[in-house]
Amino acid sequence: MSALVSTAPRTSALWLALSKNKLSWVGLGLLLLIVGTAVFAPWLAPYDPLQQNIAYRLEPPSPEFWLGTDSYGRDVLSRLIYGTRISLLVGFVAILIAMAIGSSLGVLAGYIGGLFDRVVMGLVDVLLSFPTLVLGLMIAAMLGASLENLIIAIAITEIAPFVRVARAPTIALKQRDFIEAGRALGYGPLRLMGVHIVPNMISDVVVLGSLWMASAIRTEASLSFIGLGVPPPTATWGSMIREGFENILDAWWLTVFPSLAILLTVLALNLLGDALRDAIDPKLRSE
Amino acid sequence: MMRFAIKRLLLAVPTLLAMLTAVFILVRLVPGDPAAVMLGDQASAEALNALRTQLGLDQPVLQQYLHFLGDILTLDFGVSMSTGRSVLHEVAQVLPWTLQLTAAAILIGSIFGLPLGVWAALRRNAWPDYLGRLLSLTGLSFPAFVSAILMLLVFAIQLNWFPVVSSTTAEGWGGQLRNLALPAFNLGLIMMAYVMRVTRSSMLGVMGEDYIRTARAKGIRPMRLILRHGLRNALIPIVTVVGLYFGTLIGNSVLTEIVFNRPGLGKLILGALNVRDYTLLQGLMIVFASCVIVVNLITDLIYGLVDPRVKFQ
Amino acid sequence: MQTTTPTLELRNLSTEFRIGGKWHAAIRDVSLSVDKNETLAIVGESGSGKSVTALSILRLMPQTGARHGGGEVLLEGQDVTKLSEKQMSRLRGNAMAMIFQEPMTSLNPTMGIGDQIAEAVRLHRKLSWSDARKIALDVLEEVKIPAAAKRFNDYPHQFSGGMRQRVMIAMALACKPKVLLADEPTTALDVTIQAQILTLLDDLKKAYGMSVIFITHNLGVVAQIADRVAVMYGGEVVELADVNELFAHPAHPYTEALLRVMPRVDTDAANLEPIPGSVPAITAKPAGCTFAPRCALREAICETQHPGLSTLPGGTQQVRCFVRARQAGGQA
Repeated sequence: MSALVSTAPRTSALWLALSKNKLSWVGLGLLLLIVGTAVFAPWLAPYDPLQQNIAYRLEPPSPEFWLGTDSYGRDVLSRLIYGTRISLLVGFVAILIAMAIGSSLGVLAGYIGGLFDRVVMGLVDVLLSFPTLVLGLMIAAMLGASLENLIIAIAITEIAPFVRVARAPTIALKQRDFIEAGRALGYGPLRLMGVHIVPNMISDVVVLGSLWMASAIRTEASLSFIGLGVPPPTATWGSMIREGFENILDAWWLTVFPSLAILLTVLALNLLGDALRDAIDPKLRSE
Repeated sequence: MMRFAIKRLLLAVPTLLAMLTAVFILVRLVPGDPAAVMLGDQASAEALNALRTQLGLDQPVLQQYLHFLGDILTLDFGVSMSTGRSVLHEVAQVLPWTLQLTAAAILIGSIFGLPLGVWAALRRNAWPDYLGRLLSLTGLSFPAFVSAILMLLVFAIQLNWFPVVSSTTAEGWGGQLRNLALPAFNLGLIMMAYVMRVTRSSMLGVMGEDYIRTARAKGIRPMRLILRHGLRNALIPIVTVVGLYFGTLIGNSVLTEIVFNRPGLGKLILGALNVRDYTLLQGLMIVFASCVIVVNLITDLIYGLVDPRVKFQ
Repeated sequence: MQTTTPTLELRNLSTEFRIGGKWHAAIRDVSLSVDKNETLAIVGESGSGKSVTALSILRLMPQTGARHGGGEVLLEGQDVTKLSEKQMSRLRGNAMAMIFQEPMTSLNPTMGIGDQIAEAVRLHRKLSWSDARKIALDVLEEVKIPAAAKRFNDYPHQFSGGMRQRVMIAMALACKPKVLLADEPTTALDVTIQAQILTLLDDLKKAYGMSVIFITHNLGVVAQIADRVAVMYGGEVVELADVNELFAHPAHPYTEALLRVMPRVDTDAANLEPIPGSVPAITAKPAGCTFAPRCALREAICETQHPGLSTLPGGTQQVRCFVRARQAGGQA
């Protein structure tokens, strides 16, 4: 029995997931496509997304404007392409923050235990008693509409699951012999937590992150649709749908294309996340 | 069972209190002065001060907090800043609409989701299963407003089967149903996707258990095997997971009400946000969160009823 | 020599698994029989095919990935492998019953134990629930569950492991089966409880006149309860004998090795000799005798030709071994 355990790196989990689940290839492919669109936006977009052209308002899809134009004459396709950046950025950063804060709190709570643990879990329970969208709504409304505030609002709504997923293995590992051994050797709590506990659960956290990123992007789109997202004239998918909704009777293309974009992105993340989860934890399998 | 129920009820109390405290803090973190918001920029200093006193904003925070708690517990949620009517009144007016929508959605979601999930679990790895999984995952990937808009476009605007704008004065059952249909199906189908996934995975887990093999060895026929031995045990985790879905359901119903222009708590909260009606917002937050806490409580109690290992310690 | 039709007879039974896209035999050419009031023990290590044999008799193998590979299962002369699934389910829990190894997980946690017994009675005897429950209560008392009437509606988690196993036995015996298959029923229990369960099974066997197939890897249990023994290795029966014969004059080298490995009161633990090598995988069975790679007696013929079961002089012992058959002068 090894006294000081470190787990093998789980990069193989991605390959395992991909090889087992054909659908995950679709997810990965879609995701790469979307990330590529975001990165290469300036080269891909045919027009400036902010360029207004009143003469061409509300044009249906045509060879000139592949996906049509909106009520200000802006090219839908270009706005869609640039909107990719916002969605991915917000989703990714929000989850990163939630992961960092949530997992740290979870590990600390599990390790320290006692009153601190109870307080943290109490906070998590309170967070969880607010419906995600409603919570995000309130925070975004409180803070005011901006990119940073949107990220913060979404991050807060996504913290709770990370606390849980970090706390449970910490409690289990705390009892194990190798922690006792470490303590006897004089290792401080930070070292024990950082070097021995965290690596054992990092893969679970990352998988959870990919699943929740889909949720974060959905929340971002919803908040933008309500009007609490990044303020105009920046193009985000949710706000494009919001503007398009006003013209829904005449200009179907304004709502349909951003909708498809959101759907494909979230679906891609869900497909990948599902496959990753199946590969890593048989207990959580959807199989 | 009684002991379990009482214990669980007692546990809900601190959660409720913590939630109320969180709302209190959250609302008071808003930058700006509520009095100034209500009276506008041109208000005189005395008017502002008078209003502040009236709102109790000049008292020390702890006192405000205790007042707040006392009010809430006596069901005094305050008065809406924008309409002047009590918050409870505003909520009570639209609540039936939201309840109608949510109930319809839950019905659709579970009545279709459960059997489909069982069916998918039994046809594991055959093409119906793959198709079902892909479809349900796709269903879950739609933000509720996106699917709502698409449904509106196709079924109301294009095909004209349902009214585009929801009418609150619909005539008779037929009219009411026509107004309810699209929003209910929007919510219901998304929930159905979720229930189907959960049912499938729970059933798969259960059908691999030893006691299923024992039942087969007794000669139990397939129908009874699947229902009494399989599903009955699979229900235990399903109940818990579906209960947790309630928060998402609320969020989805807010979006659905906005898209279909239906009266309800969703539109109410949007309106309150737009005019910065903080009393109403605060009250709505509390209503939403309390619903979630109550639903969690009910879910736990149902779990206790459904799992004999909990019922008989 | 048997002059009457045995209650249960297996003739050249094979079951195949699908592994990596190809079908491989998990058990092959298994021929056994059990009479009324007789206990046949099937002994072997994990992977020898003992459980697969029992599950194949009742056709309880999973429907995907496993299939009948040939041979017959004759219940009082009638081949059950030819029956439809519906006809088969009428036999299960009725004429043939099975009890399993893990009493903790083998009972439905959301159903009262009394009802789990009554369920089978109601189904096979076409009775009402109240009549079925009365019978179930009687059976519960027969397996000596204390305060059976009071505990009738209790759930499995309210019982200890030994009690749950008694419930399983009650479930299996409620319809008075002719054949009872017991797959390591005492392996998961404490030694003291084990003895009680074995005694109970023996009493009930006599009372009901059943044929019992008892699967175990524990030779001590075999000595206690078996009338005849079948030793399985690598999916085949390698020796078949009366219990006394087996312990006194084991024929197959594997049986000898097993007996040497078994800890006994009168031998020193230091003299235990583990058998070198390991059981071959289903997908990698050697040509020739399955045991040859690990056998001290192996000869050239053992590696190239596959031995059949030969009957040794005396007529009651059979062995699957060229060398031993030749030594004993028996007929193949």
